[in-house]
Amino acid sequence: MRRFLIMIITLSLFATSCKEDAYTYGIVDTDILPVNAVKSKQKTDKQYVSILYANLFQKALSSNRLVELERVIESLGDKRLARELIISSFMNDPAVILPSDPEMRDDIDQFVIDTYKRFYVRPPTEIEKEFFRDYINNDPNVTVEQVYFAFAISDEYMFY
Amino acid sequence: MKRRKFIKTSAIAASAGIGMPYFMSSKTAFARSAAPMVDHVVLVLFAGGVRQQESVLQRYLADSQGETNIDGNILYNLFSGGAPSQKIVYGTDINGGVQGGQPIPKILSQSLESQGTTFAEVAYSQGGTGHFSGLNTLLTGNYNFVQGLKERPVNPTIFEYLRKYRSIPASKVWFVGNGIGNSVPLLNYSTHELFGADFGGNFLAPNITFGNPGENNIKNAKAYHPEEELGPIYEMQFFLDNVFQFNAGTLNGVSNTDDEKHDIKEFIKTTFIKKDSGTIAFPPVNDNGDLSTMGYACEVMKWFEPTLTVINMNSIDSCHSSFTSYLRNLHRCDHGVGHIWNYIQTQIPAMSGNTMVLIIPEHGRNLDPNPIIDGNNFKAFDHDSDPNSRRIFSMMAGPGIDANLVKGSESNPIGDASDALLTVADALGIKNEVISEGLIDGAAQSFFDQI
Repeated sequence: MRRFLIMIITLSLFATSCKEDAYTYGIVDTDILPVNAVKSKQKTDKQYVSILYANLFQKALSSNRLVELERVIESLGDKRLARELIISSFMNDPAVILPSDPEMRDDIDQFVIDTYKRFYVRPPTEIEKEFFRDYINNDPNVTVEQVYFAFAISDEYMFY
Repeated sequence: MKRRKFIKTSAIAASAGIGMPYFMSSKTAFARSAAPMVDHVVLVLFAGGVRQQESVLQRYLADSQGETNIDGNILYNLFSGGAPSQKIVYGTDINGGVQGGQPIPKILSQSLESQGTTFAEVAYSQGGTGHFSGLNTLLTGNYNFVQGLKERPVNPTIFEYLRKYRSIPASKVWFVGNGIGNSVPLLNYSTHELFGADFGGNFLAPNITFGNPGENNIKNAKAYHPEEELGPIYEMQFFLDNVFQFNAGTLNGVSNTDDEKHDIKEFIKTTFIKKDSGTIAFPPVNDNGDLSTMGYACEVMKWFEPTLTVINMNSIDSCHSSFTSYLRNLHRCDHGVGHIWNYIQTQIPAMSGNTMVLIIPEHGRNLDPNPIIDGNNFKAFDHDSDPNSRRIFSMMAGPGIDANLVKGSESNPIGDASDALLTVADALGIKNEVISEGLIDGAAQSFFDQI
């Protein structure tokens, strides 16, 4: 009986012991999204070639050429192949405006920032900067043309 | 059931279930593959709306213009039969003479009718007789009543069945279109969730790719070295795509491997060079879009030796406003088909003797004319689903196909437009798989099963 009473007293002590105060700091929960998350709208073929041309030539594409480029993309079932053909044709045009390779290697960080802004309209994240810094430093043959080409065929460039 | 038999049966069933490929539905997994009849199939969509009267029935002007005595065969590479002897307007122009007065010489020494089997009266039994509906039916084996215009087919195309069930790479399956109008570029794969772009065929509209748009915009494309130059590009692109949260997958259309893409780029580059040097395999007469499409189709076949090549034509549709133009274009389509068959047999050793050709219009044309009269005072014809526009023919030739056999007649139609897909599937050994998917017209049959 005595043991039973001690057990009840002990349990009641636990039951009535202090509770931790709940603190509220007035902070609203927020989902953390990647920097490119706002790009959810797919570019049309027309938008893609217009923007690509502006990025590479720093001027607007004529309406006749725009229609022709759109038709070229439509005429091939593999759209990525079509885009690669168009990009490589642009790269073969003497009017294309690219930084020189020595300029790129003189200040790789700035080149990466400029390239992200030029193609993705956003600054690079630290990991993106680090990837390209390492990639360009580790391969002396990588050219501006190749970097631009990679951006122009990437998935993010298909969205805005 | 005895215990031992039960255990044996259960064990077989369980092992079959485990071994079932993950992508196949249970229906398909149990379908038994048949050996292909041929290594290559060329499906010619003799499209644009062809009347039986001017094609298989060889009535020339007799059943359209009230010239009851002026009949004859203007498709003499396809059909056996004498050409018209009067009022010749379908050929090439003669200097100082009648326009179209010189018939194009025959290419094949024996007509395809005499080399193979003809289904003289085939039904386009359901749906409206529109070009997209007709082409869609031929390529999916289904009239697709819920299909919207300007949308990809809702049911799988023959390209997808073939690539899925025979694991054929995209560069071995080609759809060569006469242009990019009428939603033709959408027909190389469907939106079906179990098929789609991953199994699509390569589409090419050569008159655009190699015409002015291509000349001005991709002819000058750089040829990058696949490893030294493209390798780093793809590595950087891989990183960029991994960072991005969306996959542009379907934006890219048909998925060729990097090696295939390189091969296609080489083909395009070489074709531009051949065009400049005047060595594209165009038919002897090459004066309309369908004929140049067929010339480029020959180049595609020679380069890639595809398992399946589908070639689409459409110039015949000029019949809406000009019967003369319709006759000229019919005659040219026949010339083009004769050229392709001859080219395969004489210039593509890998396809010679082991290729089947299947020719079929997508639908017919009306019995009665519209009010439009052309320069020869001929009446034009539309296609608005009247009974005559539901009448088409089909023919096939190649190894193992009965020669000089004609099945069906006006009073005894045999075959349906929805049979084309199953016929190609039959020839390439995937008929059972296609049927098991249950996505084609319930009444569709292979033409081989109707002989």
